Amino acid sequence: MLIGIDVGGTYTDGVLFKQGAIVATVKKPTDDMNLKNTLLEVLDELLPSAGEQKIERIVFSTTLVTNLLATGRGERTALIMLPGHGLPHDAYDICPDIFFARGTVDFRGNVIEKLDQKEIDDILARIAAAGIKRVAVAAKFANRNDIMEREIQSKLAADYPDISVSISSEISNKLNFPRRAATTYFTAMTVKEWMRFAAEINQAITERGLDSEVHILKADGGTFSLDTSSRRPCETVFSGPAASTMGGLALSQPNLNSVVLDIGGTTSDIALIIGGEPLYASKGARLGKHYTHINAFAVNSVALGGDSCLDYDGGIKVQNFRRGAAACFGGDYPTVMDAFNCKMALGIGNAGQSAEKLQQLAAKAGMESSELCRQVVNIVIERLISSIEAMFREWENEPAYKVWEVVNRRKFKLDQIIGIGAAATAIVPQVAARMEVDSFLHDYSPVANALGAAVVRPTLAVELHVDTPNNFFSVGPGGIRGSLNDRGGMQLGEAKNMARQYLLDMCREQGMESYASESSFYMEEQFNIISGWSRSGKIFDVGIQIAPGFISEYKGVSS
Amino acid sequence: MKPTGILFFPAFDWAISPTHPEREERLLYTRDQIFEEGIMDLPQIKEYHPRLAEIRDVARLHFCIPTVEAQIIEAHLVSAGSALVMADAFMQGEVKNAFAIIRPPGHHAMTVSHGNRGFCNINNEAIMIEYLRQKYGIKRVAIVDTDVHHGDGTQEIYWHDPDVLFISFHQDGRTLYPGSGFMEELGGPLAHGTTINLPLAPKTTDAGILYAIDELILPMLEDFKPDIVINSAGQDNHYSDPLANMAFSARGYAELNSRLAPDIAVLEGGYSVETALPYVNMGLIMAMAGIDYSNLREPDYNPSRFKESPRNMEYIKKMVAQQWTAYKNREETIADNRKKSGNFVNYNKSIFYDTEYIYEDQINHLRICQNCGGFRMIESRAHQRTGEHFHVFCISIPANACQQCQEEGRAAYQDMIKKRPFDLLYLQDRVKDDLRIYKVHKDIETVL
Repeated sequence: MLIGIDVGGTYTDGVLFKQGAIVATVKKPTDDMNLKNTLLEVLDELLPSAGEQKIERIVFSTTLVTNLLATGRGERTALIMLPGHGLPHDAYDICPDIFFARGTVDFRGNVIEKLDQKEIDDILARIAAAGIKRVAVAAKFANRNDIMEREIQSKLAADYPDISVSISSEISNKLNFPRRAATTYFTAMTVKEWMRFAAEINQAITERGLDSEVHILKADGGTFSLDTSSRRPCETVFSGPAASTMGGLALSQPNLNSVVLDIGGTTSDIALIIGGEPLYASKGARLGKHYTHINAFAVNSVALGGDSCLDYDGGIKVQNFRRGAAACFGGDYPTVMDAFNCKMALGIGNAGQSAEKLQQLAAKAGMESSELCRQVVNIVIERLISSIEAMFREWENEPAYKVWEVVNRRKFKLDQIIGIGAAATAIVPQVAARMEVDSFLHDYSPVANALGAAVVRPTLAVELHVDTPNNFFSVGPGGIRGSLNDRGGMQLGEAKNMARQYLLDMCREQGMESYASESSFYMEEQFNIISGWSRSGKIFDVGIQIAPGFISEYKGVSS
Repeated sequence: MKPTGILFFPAFDWAISPTHPEREERLLYTRDQIFEEGIMDLPQIKEYHPRLAEIRDVARLHFCIPTVEAQIIEAHLVSAGSALVMADAFMQGEVKNAFAIIRPPGHHAMTVSHGNRGFCNINNEAIMIEYLRQKYGIKRVAIVDTDVHHGDGTQEIYWHDPDVLFISFHQDGRTLYPGSGFMEELGGPLAHGTTINLPLAPKTTDAGILYAIDELILPMLEDFKPDIVINSAGQDNHYSDPLANMAFSARGYAELNSRLAPDIAVLEGGYSVETALPYVNMGLIMAMAGIDYSNLREPDYNPSRFKESPRNMEYIKKMVAQQWTAYKNREETIADNRKKSGNFVNYNKSIFYDTEYIYEDQINHLRICQNCGGFRMIESRAHQRTGEHFHVFCISIPANACQQCQEEGRAAYQDMIKKRPFDLLYLQDRVKDDLRIYKVHKDIETVL
C-alpha cells in the first residue's frame, strides 16, 4: 500500500492507494504553524483503512521551506561571496548578512587572483562576533575550481568549529553564480529547521510502528528520501504544483502534449507536459526575487478559481479573491463556479442557490441572468486560454544556441487539457472545447495531487564537466573533483560512461539503484580546444538523469 | 525603463573548419562568462530567440551568384535572422536598445557575393538596414564599425548612399586585412563624405579610440541626425586578439559603447576567444543595459601597461580634424561632382575573396542623378570555388531612389533582357521591393 500526502497552502490532501485504486482519501485544512501535526492527522486518518496491510512507502509534499523563506524565519546565515570581476556587487542583493571577498577563478578553472587571507580572517571574525552560526560560501566559477571555497571551509572548521558551512560547489555544478549563491544561501538558512522537522517525522513514523520508506516530494516532480532531503531541503519548494502535474500525468495517457489545469479556489495553476514529459522552468525555481538552481516545473499561476467572486462596477468583473464558498455550496455571493453551474446546467450542489445569487447580480447590472453567465464564462475561458498560450509562446521562444535548433523550430501542438481540482469538472471542458482539443477528467481528479505524490519515483540529475587540456573533471551535485587518467584521447563516449558511473554511484548511495537503468542523457556537448592553430584537447559537458516518472508498482488506475 | 534586448546565438554547430578562428568554440567562453555572471537573469535584460532570415531579406541587399541558396547555408540565415529579430524588438518598442551576439559574421560581404570573404558570406547589418527601411520606413542610418578590420563590405554596399553615414575605425590597412579603409576613401561622387575611415596605427589604446569617438564620431552623429545608429561591434581591437595588433581593453569597449549609445549592436569579428571575448561581450551588455561596469576587467589587465604615445595622439588629432573637414564639405563636393560628371560614372573594381581564393572583376555604372544618390549597375565575372564561371549583370535601385532612377533602372533591366550578353540578370528594386533573376540561356525569369 502507498500513501501520498500533499500539504497545500489551504488544504492538505491524503490518499491511500493500492493496486490501481484509491482506498481512502482525507482532506484537512492546513495548519501553517504546525505542518507536522497536519501531516500526522492526515496520516492517522488514512492508516485504519490499511488494516493489517503493510505500507510500503509514504510520500509527502510540504510547504515548510516555502513558509520559512516567505516569513524569513530561517536561521540567520551569513553569505560570503567571491564575485571576482564583472557585475557590480550591488547586483547580488541576496540577504542582509552578505560579505564580499577577493579571490577569482576563470571559466577554465585558472586561479586569477588568490584569496586574501587577512580579509577572510576579518570577515570570519565579524561573522562570529555577530553570533552567526551558519555560513554559506559562493565563489564565481567554483563549479570549475572549488579551491577557494574549500579554503574558507577549512578555515572555519579550524578556527570556528561551532559554525556550520555550506559551499556552492557542493550544491550545484551548473553555471550561474547568482543562482548558485542564492541556492546555497537558501539551503544553509533552512537546513536546521528542516532537520528538526525530518527528525520529528522519523520519530512519529517509528512510534506508529511503520517501517515504510519515507520520501519527500521535490519541485522537479520526483522524490528523495528523508535522509537525502537534509542535504538539499530547498528542493522541496513548489512541490504542490509538481504533485498536481504528476498526478494529472499519472491519470491520463502518457506521450501526449497536455496542459494540466489545476483549478483551485482562487488560483489556477497551469503546467505543460510535452510528449509525456513535464516542462521545467528554464531559469530554475524562483524564490522571492531570486532565480535558483532548483529544478522546478514551469507553472503559470492565474489569480482565478472556482470561488473567485463576481461583481458589477459598470461592467461584469471576475475578482481575484473569494468572499466564501460558491452559492451552490451555501455561500452568500455568486462565484465563477455558480456561473458555470447555471450556464452549462451542471446541477452542482444547490443549483437553485447559484441561480438566485446570479439573478441578484444580474438585476444590479441590468441584464438577463443568462447574459451575465455568458459574460463570466467568456472572461474565465479567455483569461485561462491567454495564459495557456503565453506559456506555449514562452516555450517556443526559449533561446537557442545551435543552427539545428533554429531550423527545426518547435511549435507547441496541444492534444489535451487535463483537469485537476474540485472546480475542474465545471470549467476545463469549456476551455478545451474553445481550444478545440479533448479534455481529460478523471473521478480521481480532485485528489490527483495526493495521488501524484503517492506514485512518483525518485529523481536524480548528474552533470559532468571535463576539460582534457587541464586534466580536470567535476561532477555535481556533491562537488566531486578529480583529474583524468588518460587525458590525451578522451572521446564523448568515455565522458558519457563516466557520467553514467557517477549517477550509478549516487543512486546506490541514495538507495535508488533500481531506477539507475532508466537513466537518460539530457545534455551532450563537446568542443575542440584550439591553442595556436592546433587541437590541444576537448571540453565535454554531459548531463544524465533519472527523469520524473512513476514507481514500478504503479501500473495506472483502474477506471 | 525598457530592457536591453540580447540575442545570443553562438552557433555551436557551425565552423569554417575545425581549427579556423571561426569555429564552434569561438563563443564558448563568452557563454560560460555571461551565464556564470547571471546577467541574463537581470530585469534589465530580455533574451530573444533567433529566427531564419528569408531568402528575400538577403536578395534585397545582395546579388548572390547564382542564387542566395547557392551561396549560404542555414547558419547564415540564422545569424542574419537574429539581427532582424533585434531590429523588430527595437522598432516595436519592446527594448531600449539591442545587441545581437551572433556568428557567422558579415561586414566583409559586399553587394555581389560569389563566395566567402574575410569569414563572411552575407552582410548581417546591411541586410538588417534594408529590412528596417522596407518594413519600418527608416530613411537615414549611421553605422559605426568598431571591428579592427576595415568594414570594406559595408563600405562598398553604402558607397553611393548619401543617407547612410558609414564610419569605420580600424587598424591601418597597410598592416592588416583587408588592406583598405584609408582616409581618402570617402564615398562615391553623390555620397561623398558619408563614408569616413579612421586608419589607426597598431598599438592604439583606449585613449586614442575614445578621443576619436568624442571629437569626431559623436559630433558627426549629432550633425547627421540618423533615424537609427548601428554598431558593427567587432571585438578584435582588443590587446589579446591573435589576428590583429591593437591595445584596446574590455572596459574601453564598454566605455566606447556607452558613449556611442547605439540603438542596435551586432557582433562582428574578435578571435581572442578565451582572453578577450568573454569580457568584452560582458562589457558591451553591461554598457547597453546601463549597468555599472567599473568592476569589469580582464584577468591580466593592467591599466598602466597601455599608454597612448604623444606622437600617436597627434596623428589621431590630425586625422580627426581632416575627416571632419571632409564630412563638413560633403554637400559642396557632391554638388560639384553633379556638375562635372556626365549621365553615368563608370569604374572598374577587382575583388579578392581571401577565404575561397576567388578573383572577381566588376564594371560599375552609377547614374548621376540630380535628385537622389542614383541607381547602380554592376557587371561582374568570376570563377567560383566550384570551378564554375559566371558573367552577370546586376541592377540595384536603392531604397531612397527618385522616380526617374526607378524607371530608368527598370528599363535598363528590360533592355538587358533583349540584349542578352550575360548568363544571369538581376533586378533589385528596393523601393518596390521587387527582386528578380533572369536566366538568359533558359529564358526564365524568377520573381523572388
